[in-house]
Amino acid sequence: MIPAIGLLVGVLLGLVLHPTVPVWLQPYLPIAVVAALDAVFGAFRSVLDGIFNDRIFVISFLSNVLVAALIVFLGDQLGVGSQMSTGVVVVLTMRIFANVAAIRRHLLKA
Amino acid sequence: MGMHTAPRPARTAAEARFRLIRSLKPQTSRTQIMITVLFVILGFAATAAIRGTSANALLANARQSDLVSLLDDLAQREARLQSEINRLESARETLLGGDQYQALNEAKRRATALGKLAGTEPVTGPGVSIAISGNLTASTLLDAIQELRDAGATAIQVSDRNLDVRVVANSWFGDSDNGVTVSGTALEVPITITAVGDQSVLTPAMKIPGGLEDTVGAGGGTVTISPGEDLSVSSVVPLPNS
Repeated sequence: MIPAIGLLVGVLLGLVLHPTVPVWLQPYLPIAVVAALDAVFGAFRSVLDGIFNDRIFVISFLSNVLVAALIVFLGDQLGVGSQMSTGVVVVLTMRIFANVAAIRRHLLKA
Repeated sequence: MGMHTAPRPARTAAEARFRLIRSLKPQTSRTQIMITVLFVILGFAATAAIRGTSANALLANARQSDLVSLLDDLAQREARLQSEINRLESARETLLGGDQYQALNEAKRRATALGKLAGTEPVTGPGVSIAISGNLTASTLLDAIQELRDAGATAIQVSDRNLDVRVVANSWFGDSDNGVTVSGTALEVPITITAVGDQSVLTPAMKIPGGLEDTVGAGGGTVTISPGEDLSVSSVVPLPNS
């Protein structure tokens, strides 16, 4: 409950403060957001599975974001940054879809 | 990343809902606070990323390699334009300086060339003379003229015993009692077509199967093609009033 309120507070803060994304962060921020969303959906699924562990969630959230940003950074250094971003987004999106499907099966039995 | 690697056997939907509701209860532990902080950051970052994407132009989001290729394109384009500037400037200097009458001579040369094409200048030169007797229709004559034009004739004139008519872009052909009408002038067969141009191209053009010779021959007429070195296309069309 409190984390959901936290999410709402974050969105409101972003809307009110009009943050400017620093140039060096611009390629990594969208990837990091998608990676974090993957962690969130995974956590939601594990809640329904009854195996949720908040410590694991925090670690997986942070490691997801870091690894995704690292892969894109590595791709940029190798000169394949845009392809690498696409690849990371595709993989994370597939995972999100898989998690959403599991959540749907849990809640709706469909 | 590996927190949901072990899929569990399916449970009842009611049980899943119960777990969801239980997880919604406020809890205050260190990790809960940490999770809340992470969610705040996630919301903030997502909003910032969405705003950044919509607010920034194409160039701001482009990667270094894209920008480099864009820059390359611009540099190449600049080089092309620069060489065009040089070419035009040198042409300008040629026209302005050097021979004072160079520009005038160039203009006169072009006026003569255009006058030949428009039919306002008499033309003499090598070419072919085609004498046609017997039955001649306007469409046959038109086909012959088209064929001569295609073969590169620069000036064409159609004449009978008394009259000459220059053939130009807006000439027209019609049938008349004793021959053909060309641009309003009635010509009686036998007529002669005089065409200035490359003889080695014009002569075969008239002799191709299904061409002028065949068509006129089928109607019982005769075609005589004689090349000449110094043919004269003397008739001109008046300059239109502009």
